[in-house]
Amino acid sequence: MWAGAWRAAVTTHGVAVYGQPVFAGVYLSGDFDGLGMHATGADVVTSLCLVQLIVAVGVWVRLRRAWPFLVTLALAAAETVQYFAGTAGALWLHIPLGVFTVAAATLLFAAAWLRPLVRREAADA
Amino acid sequence: MRDGLTRRRVLAVGGALGAMAAGGLGLAAGLARHPAATGAELRSAVPLPPPYRVPLPLPEVLRPVATTGGTDRYELVQREATAEILPGVRTRLWTYGGTFPGPTIESRRGRPVTVTHRNELPVPTVVHLHGGRTPAESDGYPTDLVLPRGWGATGGHGDGHPDGGTGHHGGGMRDPRAVTSELTRAYTFPLDQRPTLLWYHDHRMDFTAPAIWRGLAGLHVVRDDAEDALGLPAGPRELPLMITDRAFAADGSLDYPSLDPALRTRPGVREPYLAGVLGDVILVNGAPWPVHEVDAARYRLRVLNASNARHYELAFVDEGDGRIREFQQVGSDQGLLAGPVTHSTLPLAPAERHDLVFDFSRVPVGTVVRLVNRLGSGRTRDVMAFRVTRRARDDSRVPRVLSTDLPDWRRADAVRVRDFSFRAGRMGADGGHGWLIGGRAFDPARTDVTVRLGDVELWRLVADVHHPVHLHLTGFRVLTRGGRDPLPHDAGLKDTVSLRPGESVELLTRWDGYRGRYLFHCHNAEHEDMGMMANLEVV
Repeated sequence: MWAGAWRAAVTTHGVAVYGQPVFAGVYLSGDFDGLGMHATGADVVTSLCLVQLIVAVGVWVRLRRAWPFLVTLALAAAETVQYFAGTAGALWLHIPLGVFTVAAATLLFAAAWLRPLVRREAADA
Repeated sequence: MRDGLTRRRVLAVGGALGAMAAGGLGLAAGLARHPAATGAELRSAVPLPPPYRVPLPLPEVLRPVATTGGTDRYELVQREATAEILPGVRTRLWTYGGTFPGPTIESRRGRPVTVTHRNELPVPTVVHLHGGRTPAESDGYPTDLVLPRGWGATGGHGDGHPDGGTGHHGGGMRDPRAVTSELTRAYTFPLDQRPTLLWYHDHRMDFTAPAIWRGLAGLHVVRDDAEDALGLPAGPRELPLMITDRAFAADGSLDYPSLDPALRTRPGVREPYLAGVLGDVILVNGAPWPVHEVDAARYRLRVLNASNARHYELAFVDEGDGRIREFQQVGSDQGLLAGPVTHSTLPLAPAERHDLVFDFSRVPVGTVVRLVNRLGSGRTRDVMAFRVTRRARDDSRVPRVLSTDLPDWRRADAVRVRDFSFRAGRMGADGGHGWLIGGRAFDPARTDVTVRLGDVELWRLVADVHHPVHLHLTGFRVLTRGGRDPLPHDAGLKDTVSLRPGESVELLTRWDGYRGRYLFHCHNAEHEDMGMMANLEVV
């Protein structure tokens, strides 16, 4: 159950993250509504990251796997910085950090689907 | 496969990616400009004077040649002149009437002014009154050129047809509607508009930026009885401050990276300066880092940024304790605010005007108050200084209500919404670097926007880098900035709004006054010359 929830959380979060550069591109092409989409997208991404963080806590507790939580925590930190860099107009930070965040979400998506999360047994620990 | 994916290897790959990301962000932090700035700075090749030695010049007020028939008539000769801007350095300028800035024109609301310009410069010119509510035929459309003597014969343009912007990066552009004249042209300004500080400057197709740089700019004040009755500081306690940046070549001339130094055929600047030309000398009313002696009293400072591309964030610094002193803003581009707004710093983009009141009685006599640019670095942080020399009586005041005639347009009044992007792109036949509005470079023969006289419209602008966007003919309200409430300095009625990188604004305006062909454009003068203008037809 927690393995499935982890994959679902990482997938929805990843899809939302992929929307952000799309909306940014629409906005910078001169479509004012793109900014609203990018801002709403930021709220959605941040919320989904929080969901993923909660699921990762469950994974840690139930499956005794810590790395999903640690990776998601790092991602949440990056997205928080990204959020404020965006609203502050600090594009030197916002653009590269956005690209790196998308790359991290991509890696996480691949890891979630290529590497099954099985419960770590006591002997394994 | 499973064997290859050891814990150690995953950690190594993850660590390497983390290090790459951290390195990338560090590089971005190191390479990027803080604060963000658009343009490249020229370095002067002559020694620069120390600050606060030269007294602040005040441009002469032009005397009318006639005041009969309800119109004030003026004459101005555009000619080359030599001036000593830096002490001991002689600099050739293009001027209105022999001085830089040109003489100030003082006018009253609703009383028409006719200015007959005579072009004795070596190139065509055209005069635009920035912020003026002016009929199209006197608005200084970029191809409505006043040709100098012999221009057609000597072939300023390649094919000998001096009909306007033929050389748009080799685009071979024609403007069938251009109205050119030989040597002179009379511009009539009805000035049926709110009292404010306007400025006149050259607006020649493809060559506006270098022409302003060489000196073709002057002030034009509109006043009315209601403003006079407010009791704001006046007379010697009202100071116009035209702020510009320039750079000087080794021979004392104004340095500018033109592709064609004669400014005759080939427009544009050298590649590194495509984003805008910045100088390393700050001039106020044509003097480098000047100083002005003031009474310990309120002063009205009417500030214009006439720089091509430099942005300022103005602040008053008390030399005594090094603290930033607050001041009041009473007006903006298109006249008085509803009430004064207190600031400690104030951004000022190219072509914007701020009407400020600073109270020098709040600092001890003998204090030097420096006006600084917080966006500058090194010597471009300094702008000018005020030396408080004596105690004095002060009958001036800043009323809580400054005006009640600001338009009350609301979002719901807009009959149309228009979106425009302001960004870099390729333009012309050769696909050179340029600046585009809505993906297109300026073409005088193409109507980009048609508006109906009397309509209220909502305009939504998005920028890639800094773009101070100016609409001719009209004033507008800034509704939102970056999707949020406008900033304190967006108050009042504006005609130029400064978009920062990645930023958007929503404007509300009513097309009012006159029908005909007008412009809107980026007032980074280099961007303006390299495509970032669009036609607006009022029908």
